[in-house]
Amino acid sequence: MDVNLTVNGSVHHLTIDVRMALLDVLRERLGLTGTKKGCDQGQCGACTVLIDGRRVLSCLVLAAAVEGGVTTIEGLSGEGAPLHPMQDAFLQCDAFQCGYCTPGQILSAIACVTEGHAGSEHEIREYMSGNLCRCAAYPNIVKAILQAKAKMQATAEDV
Amino acid sequence: MDELAPNAAVFGIPHLRIDGRAKVTGQALYPSDEAVPNPAYAFLLTSAIAKGRIKRFDLHEARTLPGVLDILTHDNIGGDAKPLVQQAGGKATTTLESNQIWHDGQVIGVVVADTYESAREAAYRVRVHYEKEAPAATFGSKGTTEEIREPGEHEDFHIGDADSAFAAAEIRIDAWYGTPTQHHNPIELFTTTCAWNDGQLTIWEPSQFVYGLRANVARQLGIAPEQVRVISKFIGGAFGSKGSATARTAWIAIASRRMNRPIKLVVTRDQGFTVATYRAETRHHIQIGATRAGKLTALRHKGWEVTSRPSTYNVSGTETTARMYGCPNILTKVNIVHADRNTPGFMRAPPDTPYMFPLESAMDELASALGMDPIELRRINDTPVDPATGRRFSSRHLMECFDVGAARFGWQARDPVPGSMKDGDWLIGWGCASAAYPANIATCTARVVLHGEGHARVEIAGHDIGTGAYTVAAMAAAERLGLPVEKIMVHMGDTDLPPASLAAGSSHTASIAHAIVKACDELRGRLIQAAITSNDGPLAGRAADSINLGNGQLLSRDGAHETVADAVKRLTGGALEAYAENIPKGLNQDTVGKLYQGQLPISRGIGREDVTAYAFGAQFVEVRVHRRTCEIRVPRMLGTFASGTIVNPLTAHSQYIGGMIWGLGAALLEKTEIDERFARYVNDNIAEYYIPVSADICKAEAIMLPEHDRDVNPLGIKGIGEIGIVGVNGAIANAVFHATGRRVRELPIRIENLLCPDRAQ
Repeated sequence: MDVNLTVNGSVHHLTIDVRMALLDVLRERLGLTGTKKGCDQGQCGACTVLIDGRRVLSCLVLAAAVEGGVTTIEGLSGEGAPLHPMQDAFLQCDAFQCGYCTPGQILSAIACVTEGHAGSEHEIREYMSGNLCRCAAYPNIVKAILQAKAKMQATAEDV
Repeated sequence: MDELAPNAAVFGIPHLRIDGRAKVTGQALYPSDEAVPNPAYAFLLTSAIAKGRIKRFDLHEARTLPGVLDILTHDNIGGDAKPLVQQAGGKATTTLESNQIWHDGQVIGVVVADTYESAREAAYRVRVHYEKEAPAATFGSKGTTEEIREPGEHEDFHIGDADSAFAAAEIRIDAWYGTPTQHHNPIELFTTTCAWNDGQLTIWEPSQFVYGLRANVARQLGIAPEQVRVISKFIGGAFGSKGSATARTAWIAIASRRMNRPIKLVVTRDQGFTVATYRAETRHHIQIGATRAGKLTALRHKGWEVTSRPSTYNVSGTETTARMYGCPNILTKVNIVHADRNTPGFMRAPPDTPYMFPLESAMDELASALGMDPIELRRINDTPVDPATGRRFSSRHLMECFDVGAARFGWQARDPVPGSMKDGDWLIGWGCASAAYPANIATCTARVVLHGEGHARVEIAGHDIGTGAYTVAAMAAAERLGLPVEKIMVHMGDTDLPPASLAAGSSHTASIAHAIVKACDELRGRLIQAAITSNDGPLAGRAADSINLGNGQLLSRDGAHETVADAVKRLTGGALEAYAENIPKGLNQDTVGKLYQGQLPISRGIGREDVTAYAFGAQFVEVRVHRRTCEIRVPRMLGTFASGTIVNPLTAHSQYIGGMIWGLGAALLEKTEIDERFARYVNDNIAEYYIPVSADICKAEAIMLPEHDRDVNPLGIKGIGEIGIVGVNGAIANAVFHATGRRVRELPIRIENLLCPDRAQ
């Protein structure tokens, strides 16, 4: 079937198999491989993307059913451009090891802050528990989110 | 390499990951991310029974689906690949080579289609007719067979007379322990992409040993290793699961050759439980005899491990437990139990995690029986020599780790009486345990290219599985070439590069750093020699040993200096190149050839002629057990480790706490449940196989004790990836005992094991 998919601000006209998950369209059709497949059944969070700012597991969304603009990790900062405060905080805090869950963690973390669920370490841990990190960088992820939150709020106030 | 010139002091300074930007922007290419032209997609068929034979396949319905291109089974391609050779344990189970079924979830076919969706649907429509036999699942199941593990790769110890000494001991601990089946579950799935071009095969697959994978697949396909290239630039977690080749790769290569088209396979999460390896369940009988003063007089440790029918794979962690404490009478024995299961394999601290849990629990039971502080018990039994061989340890700072850790943790405030420390409805338990892991190092090669502009490129087929190996490699070159880390580019994970060993066994930093340093030192020597023998350079006439490299300069002791870039330009307008092979002490020259052939020449800290080399650590945890619900929480964990030279404290800390959190998972959460009737894994997904999530983890801290060990290897590097997990199981079980008075000897410790002290009384 034919679909129009808006990803990182660009509209893509695609003919796809109706069975295709958004995750597979991003990876196999659009070459946006920053979004990762970790379980393909909504358990690990590695495929998290934002749709109109809300975090969504792209393995559980049929591409044909997407309504709204999709933001993937590639959409947060261009090549050579400054990093999003959350990306920078993950880098500075060593909030990853293998890096495989990281794009999903970062997008989920941005939403965690914008949702207002980053009020305390405890709250962050609770609201980030849908994103598994087998390397177990959790303490540094919590640190990074607190650090990025301050910058994101400062930027928002500037605007 | 025995002596090292002064260095530029890069080691030991925290450095952000040089591949960090790629990882936070989604630009890091894991093997399944690599683009290939016009790929077809594969989906594995796996066995629905654990034992028997395939009578026939009914492929008609699958074949008629649109987009289906090919279906591989033993009927059409079974003879095209030789069986896989696993890293350890001899014979392994087979897949498409015959119609035999060794275990549930065994690969029995490959469906290839134009799209992933079509391949998946076709796989679901394949009907398989089996001739079933009753399988044996695990310990105690009817039909398992048991054998005593023969000496060879691992050895048993029979020192003194442990039987008599135990019988005569003033205090005796005699208990049985168990650890469950566990699966690595890296977040990255097992993937393979294959493409052929003019008889050359390229494989993109996450691997901890690209040369090993290349050799294995070449052998299976009957082609030369030079016809195969393996690329694995980023690995999305491994923990041992991506060290050994698995059967899938050769079949995908064959499918791709049949079709003359690149093929991509992404193994599903549940299939990953059976098409790769896992940590087998273990049983232990520990008997410790001691004097009333706490001195050990006898240690008997017998272990049982499950493996597949054909394999003798075992981990034999008695090789560490026999070395932990001074004891004149030691007896160890390991038994293998064959069941209808897939073959187990290496998983984080493979021997030490399951075997140190019983020993460190038993030591705590002994301390309790003696009314002695558990740290003091370990101090009384500390030993400067390896009790198994009589050789000295290259260094052993176990008690220093305990003392520093105890001070930081506040151990002196601990009331030793179980159940005595409380916070409202929460019972507080403080536990500790020793940690140890052998210091291993493998033969390794590297090439370093130094450019006239003052930057360098390191080429080494090493592997960054999340450890920070890219950064460590850059730091090693920066340290010796006197250049900033930012000026070093590192290429890894590709068999077109000089071979590095398996990234496992906490050996990789030591292995790759020595090879890189050796190549850099050759360049360094050439630069210095040219600088001091030049007619007009600023360093002309100086003695070679008066020159050091740092801050991008060659510096003479008298203050004269020249930039590295200028020194290179004196020799060439282009670039200088050095290739080096590092053969660790005790290994032969022929190990380099073996490495090129994909074998693993490694010097093990427990197998050396000169010393026994281990990293040591002390693990502390606080648990809180709710008095009524028996919920177990771990508000803080502290590990203190003495692991020699720490190259990058930033990534080292991440690895240590990652290991500790793995320990928490193993102690409280992780267990692959087996349906004994079908010898089948039940919770084969990561919603029901519990791995730690953010909400499970509070404070985790690692202290790195400075340690200079020049006997372990010239750079004094021991491993850090494994030791973090080793003491945690014991420390948590001991803390649970301290909180509740309940001694749980079977992992994981869950609410149901503790329900409920109040009710029980």
